[in-house]
Amino acid sequence: MSYLSIEQVRKSFGKTTVLEDVSLGVERGEMVAIFGPSGTGKTVLLRLISGVFGPDAGDVLIGGHSVIARGPEERDVGMAFQNFALYPHLPAFENIASPLRARGLAGAEIERRVRATAELLKIDHVLHHLPRELSNGQKQRTALGRALVREPKVLLLDDPLRNVDAKLRYEMRVELPRLLKRFESTVLYVTQDYKEAMALGERVAVLNQGRFQQVDRPAAIYTRPGRVEIARLFGDPTINLYPCRPAAEADGLAIELFGSRLVLPRAAGETAGRPCLIGLRPEDVQIQLEPAPGAIPVELDAVTPLNVRTVLFLRAADRSEILATCSESVGARFGRGHRQVFMRLDLAKALLFDQASGQHLPAAA
Amino acid sequence: MTEATLWSRLLRPVLLTLVALFFLFPIFWVFLMSFQTNEQILRIPPSLFFSPTLDNYWGLVSGKLVTAAGTLELPFMRNLWNSVVLSTGAVLLSLLLGVPAAYAFARFKFRLGEDIAFTLLSFRFAPPLLVLLPLNLYFQTLGLNDTYIGLIWVYQLITLPLILWIVRGYFEDISPDVEHAYRVDGHGWLKTFLKISIPLARPGIAAAALLSFIFAWNNFVFALILGSSSIQPVTVGALAFVTASGIQYGQIAAAVVLSILPTLTLALYAQRYLVEGLSLGAVKG
Amino acid sequence: MAATAEVAGARAPKQSFSRAALPYLLSLPALLVCIGILIPFFTAVYYSLQRYNLAMPFLRGFIWFDNYKDFLSDPAFWNTVSISLIYTALTVGIELLLGLGIALLLQRPTLFNNALSIALMLPLMIAPAIASLMWKLMTNPNFGILSYLVGLVGLTDFKWASDPSTALLTVVLVDIWVYTPFMMILLLAGLRGLPKQPFEAAELDGVPASFVFFRITLPMLLPYIITAALFRMLDSIQQFDIIYAMTQGGPGDKLMVFQVQAYLEFFTYTNVGRSSALLMVLWAIAYLLSHQFIKSWLRLRERARGQA
Repeated sequence: MSYLSIEQVRKSFGKTTVLEDVSLGVERGEMVAIFGPSGTGKTVLLRLISGVFGPDAGDVLIGGHSVIARGPEERDVGMAFQNFALYPHLPAFENIASPLRARGLAGAEIERRVRATAELLKIDHVLHHLPRELSNGQKQRTALGRALVREPKVLLLDDPLRNVDAKLRYEMRVELPRLLKRFESTVLYVTQDYKEAMALGERVAVLNQGRFQQVDRPAAIYTRPGRVEIARLFGDPTINLYPCRPAAEADGLAIELFGSRLVLPRAAGETAGRPCLIGLRPEDVQIQLEPAPGAIPVELDAVTPLNVRTVLFLRAADRSEILATCSESVGARFGRGHRQVFMRLDLAKALLFDQASGQHLPAAA
Repeated sequence: MTEATLWSRLLRPVLLTLVALFFLFPIFWVFLMSFQTNEQILRIPPSLFFSPTLDNYWGLVSGKLVTAAGTLELPFMRNLWNSVVLSTGAVLLSLLLGVPAAYAFARFKFRLGEDIAFTLLSFRFAPPLLVLLPLNLYFQTLGLNDTYIGLIWVYQLITLPLILWIVRGYFEDISPDVEHAYRVDGHGWLKTFLKISIPLARPGIAAAALLSFIFAWNNFVFALILGSSSIQPVTVGALAFVTASGIQYGQIAAAVVLSILPTLTLALYAQRYLVEGLSLGAVKG
Repeated sequence: MAATAEVAGARAPKQSFSRAALPYLLSLPALLVCIGILIPFFTAVYYSLQRYNLAMPFLRGFIWFDNYKDFLSDPAFWNTVSISLIYTALTVGIELLLGLGIALLLQRPTLFNNALSIALMLPLMIAPAIASLMWKLMTNPNFGILSYLVGLVGLTDFKWASDPSTALLTVVLVDIWVYTPFMMILLLAGLRGLPKQPFEAAELDGVPASFVFFRITLPMLLPYIITAALFRMLDSIQQFDIIYAMTQGGPGDKLMVFQVQAYLEFFTYTNVGRSSALLMVLWAIAYLLSHQFIKSWLRLRERARGQA
């Protein structure tokens, strides 16, 4: 049995149902990233676990015991809020000490533990400051310190890197897993950034339309997204998607696309004849200047260098738009202007989704 | 351009002087009068130069008024004390009743809460006599008509809506997450309310308390109808003693000064919050 | 699957009981005060439907709307209505114009203007009953400074509040002295809270000042003007303190506004039924006004909260 388990939780506010049927099990010491677009109820879910809200239905169990009847103060859950939620009238020290004071620890013990946590987070020099005198990064660390100082069994982090600048976000992304491992807490990490979710979560749980649509290892979510929406949410630039109707062939599954006939190297299974969406990741689209067998002629409309990668905007003979990425050095070869190029597709990595339901259609075994 | 210059150079100062004169001179004049003897007051033409006397104030403080007809008892100090007790009591009771309710209205959206808040507000704007006249009959049966408690209870009509609506606004401005964080830290609801919500709303609570004190102090009709002479505040008392025979005008002026001094001082002290309070939070000062 | 959901659903309400009760517990005291107000209010409604004179308790009986019907043919009632309306129109109208004028004079937030606006608030902080007393002193025929001043311009026998022809004006003057600061302070806050861009644009375009005032300032200030005016109307139609303290409704019936008339009806003529009915009429007027006021006030409040 999972250490933290959320069972069929439902929550509505007035007429809007935010969480419809949410279930998730998290092992002891595991870190699960909860990812979803804004407004999908990630924050609400954390609040249901911490006890700030009560669910309309369902249960939350920690260590096998239902905590639903307990108030937030009785759950031993640490939580870092997205807006930090520091106590503006108390200095950083008292902010961090608050959970220890609630337990009635001795003054010396509180002093020791707050100092230790602050040193770990590199804020020990600002402990006497009020929150309004702290920088955003220091505020964020203070909030994190308050959640960590109690060494909680369950730690809930609500997009803690959202309101800090890019440099600090990067540092913390590296530092945070190391810190959290020390505390051996079971962690739920909420984020709107798929890269953050993939970098930090041992597993990623995708919350969308009131339920977890997929819970899996980060790589698995990327390569085998359970639904077309998930495929769209993970990846930058977003995945290319085109409607198609595959037909069974001897050597695989044939589709009509970009004015060409393409054959996917996979068994037909039940997909043949069914309206589908085919998904092609931009990195699985290769562009070359010279024609070659199997390469599809396309027009190159725009070349956008983006850090180390270059995004290419292409238009096929049937006017469909295609996004492709390539390394900077390859991108440099295409110049800036509009020109004719040739496209090779890594069709083994193409994803098929049912057009009506959006479900992923895996290749038949 | 010349028109604008003429306006700002000449007309504006003249108008401002007239405005200041109209609104401030009466206070100044009564203040001067309170240091004058009857002969000085009655002198024509009136003069700004006179040797000031504190006799009017001594007369009020000692409670004895010596006139040609004999010595009169003046209960003015008693009235002043009654004002202090009634206003302070009313504000304290309102804080006790109003702050938790304001918190409930700010934090929990519940039907009954809005109903209570608006009932109190609408009765703030209803004719006070409508409630006071039946209460006058009730108070006689209940034996409340000569007690501070009865009046303090009725004063809630003035002080409670003010405290409720101002403090509610301040509670609404506190991020609920700050309270949630404190709960999650392991503190109970009551402790969160006392250690987080109240301290963060303190400026609003102080402002509302000061303003409602001023309004309670200035109230006239409640005590006129429900209070007998032993618990009457200065507003009613001062008026009563104008009609007392043989009164000295300087003493009336001194009584006026003593009865407006507390509210004027408080108003100057709390001026930052006056605008917000007067408009029940509709205009931020 | 469905069974588990049901079990879980049944478990959920257990934790929410104390949570659901909390707001009610917190507002219980305020609720009691509410009930404390509503009981006498309904008593007043009940009295207004009775023939009820304290001096003649044996005649007490339920007469439905006869008290109200009697008003229709009672010149004293119509006198009350017209005096109250005239008083309200005069005070609110003059205070609005004066308050707006002063607010415009003090619009720029200089140190001097701020200090003066605070000083001008002082009359508002004086109890209206005491303010009336001050004006009674100032209009005293023997030593009043105002009597002396009008004497200088030849009005040697000016009787102020005790002359039927000038009583209303005198009382209105006191009301203006006390309540203009309220208008001023609200409109000043409104003026200073207006967005700057339209005025800057108008200045750049060289638009004349009168046009700016009537086409930009006034329309943008209108919500504040309406709210302040409604608030003052509510107060003014129910004015009691100033009128009672100055003249007790006299001379004659010159200043018999609603609440003064009801007060005298109750205490002098001990006619509880009639007094209550009169107050119910006033309450109906006040209720309509307060409904409008609360609507416009809530809109302003929302806006103020949004800015903060």
